Amino acid sequence: MRFVEIALVAAALLPWPASPALAQTFVFGAQGEPVQLDPAIITDGISSRITRQIFDGLVKYKGATTEIEPALAEKWDVSADGKVWTFHLGKNVKFHDGHPLDAAAVVWNFERWWKSNHPQHENQVKAGQTFEYWEAQFGGFDDKSMVSKVEATDSHTIRITLKAPQAPFLANLAMFVFDIASPKAVEKWGTEFGKHPVGTGAFKFVEWKPNQEVILEANPDSWGVKPKVKRIVVRNIKDNSQRLAALKAGEIHGMEGLNPEDVQVVRSDPNLQLLLRPTNTTGYIAFSYKVKELQDKRVRQAFAQAINKKAIVDALYGGTGLVATQLQPPALWGYNKELKDFEYSPDKARDLLKQAGFTQGLSEITWEDGKKEPLVFWYMSRSRPYFPNPKEIAEAMAADLAKAGIKAQLQTAEWAVYLDKRKNGQLPLYMLGWTGDNGDPDNFLCYFFCSPGAAREGFYSNRSLADLLLRAQTLTNQADRAKLYRQAEQMLHDDAGRLFVAHNRPPLAFSKKVRGYVANPTGSEYFDTVEVR
Amino acid sequence: MWRYALRRALTVVPVLLGVSVLVFSFIHLIPGDPAVTMLGERATPEKVAEVRHLLGLDRPILEQYVLYVGKVLRGDLGISIVRGDPVLTDLLRRFPATVELATSAIFLAICLGIPIGIGSAVWRNSLVDSLSRVFALTGVSMPIFWLGLMLAWFFGVQLRWLPTGFRLDTGTAFEPWTNFIILDAALQGNWPVVRDALRHLVLPAAALATIPLAVIARMTRASMLEVLSQDYIRTAEAKGLPQGAVILRHALGNALLPVMTVVGLQVGHLLAGAILTETIFSWPGIGLWVYESIESRDYAIVQGASLFIAVIFVTVNLVTDLLYAAADPRIKYD
Repeated sequence: MRFVEIALVAAALLPWPASPALAQTFVFGAQGEPVQLDPAIITDGISSRITRQIFDGLVKYKGATTEIEPALAEKWDVSADGKVWTFHLGKNVKFHDGHPLDAAAVVWNFERWWKSNHPQHENQVKAGQTFEYWEAQFGGFDDKSMVSKVEATDSHTIRITLKAPQAPFLANLAMFVFDIASPKAVEKWGTEFGKHPVGTGAFKFVEWKPNQEVILEANPDSWGVKPKVKRIVVRNIKDNSQRLAALKAGEIHGMEGLNPEDVQVVRSDPNLQLLLRPTNTTGYIAFSYKVKELQDKRVRQAFAQAINKKAIVDALYGGTGLVATQLQPPALWGYNKELKDFEYSPDKARDLLKQAGFTQGLSEITWEDGKKEPLVFWYMSRSRPYFPNPKEIAEAMAADLAKAGIKAQLQTAEWAVYLDKRKNGQLPLYMLGWTGDNGDPDNFLCYFFCSPGAAREGFYSNRSLADLLLRAQTLTNQADRAKLYRQAEQMLHDDAGRLFVAHNRPPLAFSKKVRGYVANPTGSEYFDTVEVR
Repeated sequence: MWRYALRRALTVVPVLLGVSVLVFSFIHLIPGDPAVTMLGERATPEKVAEVRHLLGLDRPILEQYVLYVGKVLRGDLGISIVRGDPVLTDLLRRFPATVELATSAIFLAICLGIPIGIGSAVWRNSLVDSLSRVFALTGVSMPIFWLGLMLAWFFGVQLRWLPTGFRLDTGTAFEPWTNFIILDAALQGNWPVVRDALRHLVLPAAALATIPLAVIARMTRASMLEVLSQDYIRTAEAKGLPQGAVILRHALGNALLPVMTVVGLQVGHLLAGAILTETIFSWPGIGLWVYESIESRDYAIVQGASLFIAVIFVTVNLVTDLLYAAADPRIKYD
């Protein structure tokens, strides 16, 4: 009798067929819990992947590129001096709460981001939140901002006046942070709006189960593309291997955050498909220009010729890396295709060192104040998309350098200490990288090279490069700007100012049942094209 | 007895004070500026200063500690730095999930560990004993992380018998009352949800149970062997009592006393193990929450949860000690 009972319980625990409703649901495995769902406040990819489905901006990135196309604004004009932008909104667009999307609502959103005395700005700051990206992309709040006026000229037209032309203006507006929220809903929920998001997007927010999942459903009144699935569930599965297990078990349909060693597992599974996100990230090696030996261009060039980037990318990026020749990834329109990279040649590197006077190779450095110490190569203690295995990559690079006579000791530090030391210019030679925010070349180049001599950038001072980049910021014609960015990359290369090692294309894995997932380089794509068969 | 209980309870106070000092100081002991760690590679000096102010890191350290203890005593564990929610509310919401998992694990460990230990002692040096000893050794030395992954891979991916994570299937509509899902669903008479929740519980509970199971089995065996060699057992056997009666009626009660202490201590391991188990099985309890908070450098949560876990551990051990004293007449209360 007891055996029968046990058998019955065991049988009850065995799976039943999946519910038929699941086929109309797209279940995506995310790497963690969203911080919150108010796009103006968040800065992380996990949250923005969800807010992108609920909200729309004035403009958006097109498909898998960073080119700009219309969204809530059907069209726009810019004045000849590049300072006045006029956006014409589409008609009959409604927020999920039924209120109309009109010029007043857009102006309200801008004022919330921009003005520190706006009640819905003030309350966020009091609660310890900031409008970080507004500050970063538009120069600050109130009078500090480069925006001088935002006004509704009629019910569906907005005019934005800038203090000076800002070349990446449209690219900035396409970022998820500048998606338009329902003013009524923000006023209703205040600082809790991030738990009750209301936008105009293809999906409406349904529920957020903390530490588990966020559920969205298709918006029947969607103004743009009609979604192809009824529901979206974004499940929080922290562990990379376990997320893959859930995908293989058919519990989720797609996932991000694949371990480099699992890329092959997905490739060889007949039920799965691999998608590589277009690269938007670059890993580099930077020099301190307070180190006398590294002030010599021949020495820096020796480093460049000593490192076998291709071997590193082939061995340590799980087949998703690309050799970098410059700071911008190839998907950016400022990328310099003509740029010819340094050839990998330990012999030439050794010759260059000899020419610079280091006949016995280089193992000791001299700081400008005369202090001598062994050459230390600092590597990151934390994995980032541009350096997925920082320790192994650093070891490979150190081995390459040794072949050319450069003996560097490897050292790391806890992430905060590492960033602190880098900020204060204390690292003689180190690795780090960048992931782009808005797909604009300015976002890559200017952050590093517009302030010559900054401690943060190892005191690298290249005035003509900075001037060129600042000039590019004032132009509005993309072709003119692209020319300057290509030139900037060439200047940086000719000076061997910094060594660019690799770009990475973060892998995504999907069940073969999924069609139409378009991964955007910025990491915030729309799920309205996704189908589950 | 009551005086003993009171005295024993008072010893908890200095322990908890020590814990509070440790938990408080850890934010100052980790290398680097916590504000920089939280903000990452793009932090501006203004932003760093702002976060330092928000965390109260710009005040004298003693003042920070006094303020901290004062708040904790009033039940205020602070506000999550990343999400801005009160730590205590979040903690209480997630606690039932962890309790559900940990109690299932300890239940499993006791139900299997004690019989294995007894069998191993009674049939000493037999095949049963060898097998159970190998099992115990493996159980103790197997990393939960690896075991969890293997269980999920085998039962979830290969056999597809059980889900690889979470407490319920995607899209299960269920409104829990207390967040003890199995209990809530049973009280609501929602049997499909009970079944679904049980299916989700099997693998994480099994993974979490391995270490306590092995420890309990080993302890029971050792303790049983000791009891079985005592004179009164020989007397009982000489009286002609059947072996089963000797073991269950005469030996087991005494042999289980030390096992009780071990079970109490295992609660600490369970809470530590829950961090890994919950992370692997996406189990939305305190462990996963702490893991995520460590990653996002949300010190308020890490501090609050560490203190909470320490209090639980100390309390459970206090209760075990008191039970032990109540169960064993040889323990004097003075």
